[in-house]
Amino acid sequence: MTEQVIVNGIYSGVQYALIALGLTLIFALMNVLNFAHGQMYVLGAFVTYYVYGVLGLPFWLALVATALTLGIVGVLFEKFLFRPVLRRSSREESSMLLAAGTALLLESLILIVFGEKHRGVPSVVSGVIKIGDAYLPMGRLLVIVLSAILIGGFILFMQYTKPGRALRALAQDREAAQLQGVDVGTYSMIGFAMGAMLAGMAGAMLVAISGVNSGLGTWISIKAFIMVMIGGAGVVSGAIVGGLILGMIESIGYQMLPGGETYLFIFIGLIIFLAIRPHGLMGKPWG
Amino acid sequence: MQLEATEIHVNYDHVRAVTGVSLSVGEGETVALIGANGAGKTTMLRAITGLTRPDSGEIRYEGHRLDTMAPNDIVRAGIAMVPEGRRVFPYMSVKDNLLIGAFARTDKNGVNATLEMVLGRFPRLKERYSQAAGTMSGGEQQMLVIGRALMAKPKLLLLDEPSLGIAPKLVQDIARSIVAINRDEKVSVLLVEQNSRMALRISHRAYALATGAVALEGASKELLQDDRVKRLYLGGEL
Repeated sequence: MTEQVIVNGIYSGVQYALIALGLTLIFALMNVLNFAHGQMYVLGAFVTYYVYGVLGLPFWLALVATALTLGIVGVLFEKFLFRPVLRRSSREESSMLLAAGTALLLESLILIVFGEKHRGVPSVVSGVIKIGDAYLPMGRLLVIVLSAILIGGFILFMQYTKPGRALRALAQDREAAQLQGVDVGTYSMIGFAMGAMLAGMAGAMLVAISGVNSGLGTWISIKAFIMVMIGGAGVVSGAIVGGLILGMIESIGYQMLPGGETYLFIFIGLIIFLAIRPHGLMGKPWG
Repeated sequence: MQLEATEIHVNYDHVRAVTGVSLSVGEGETVALIGANGAGKTTMLRAITGLTRPDSGEIRYEGHRLDTMAPNDIVRAGIAMVPEGRRVFPYMSVKDNLLIGAFARTDKNGVNATLEMVLGRFPRLKERYSQAAGTMSGGEQQMLVIGRALMAKPKLLLLDEPSLGIAPKLVQDIARSIVAINRDEKVSVLLVEQNSRMALRISHRAYALATGAVALEGASKELLQDDRVKRLYLGGEL
């Protein structure tokens, strides 16, 4: 029993970390809370549904198509929506309202294009493995492995490549980064696109497990906000830790409270936690 | 002249920060910009680096107009700035702070050579190579941002208050480094300082700003002996 709870927790936690990573990246770079993050996840799921489920093309091709689509959405959002607003207004409400607007826009577009039905796709891999007393379907193992690869790749990119360094510099001190020759416009766009891609990839993997419908976005965004609040906004390690913690708590909650009160307790717990530690576990009081 | 700013006016939200300042820096020169807080020194540096657009006036560097260029292109043209308050990237290692300084460069071998030079000049940075920059002392951070600016291999180095908040003993070290950089690396220097005595000692020429305009200019040696400078900037009654 315990082992099953842990396996479920890791499965949820790793994909959650992937979602939180994208959200925290956009926040760190642009000081924008991307309300449309859940909708980007849903869009990613629908692109994979279409390419893999409807057209019957290979799953990996669907992942590539998803990454490309979300990358383009990210670029367009940054260049034509967030950049002009951030340039004209320094008030945080402006970008927040815009972010909320983009969430509604994306959700409506998804509804028009893909309809309101819940959609699923055939399993990518079949079979179940047994770890101790716990069962882990191969499909879920694939999600764990792919998510871990994406998270690992992201960290390596940020730590050891020139563009990764530029993104970190931009997040820590925008003006000082400009003085090193970093083009703020280009790198904000790259960062926003990467954040959107991470959300989309999570959606793409999940559609093969639990399916997707157009109304799922807001709930995913809320979960992503919870994770980022637990771990600390704008910090890569915080997003990963926040994701794993939420996944594990959720798994324990679903085991012990079959009635669905899990998130009631998670929200109460979060309020108490934030009162004690407003910056989250890894959060830095960014000045 | 390598850098020539003519009749620069800058307003911040209708507050006039700089009103008609003209200044120049010749190749190989160290030029000091002194004056009290709010005299417009930092604003002039921000205008040169493109962080602030002048409302009118012209800035030319090796014949190119700077006042229409983006900050990241101005770096590529050969101007590096050490901003006020140090502004290291606090959560990045010393190594990454230095490497990001060379972000605009594409000559990998040249970057390695510059890195060797910087670490040779500031051995402390070598000791702290993997440490997060934000955990270092103020003096060490100041060395880091000077090193970071040198990593861009600039032809003109702008320094904004490098002595601010630094232990007096280290101020001497930093002053010596500036002289050495100017001499050994053939980098022209435009130095903004409230520590006027230090700035006048290590510079060839100087401008004294007061409320957004040039009040005095001339050879630093002469300004050090000037009664008005003594009275206004070198202690005594204000």
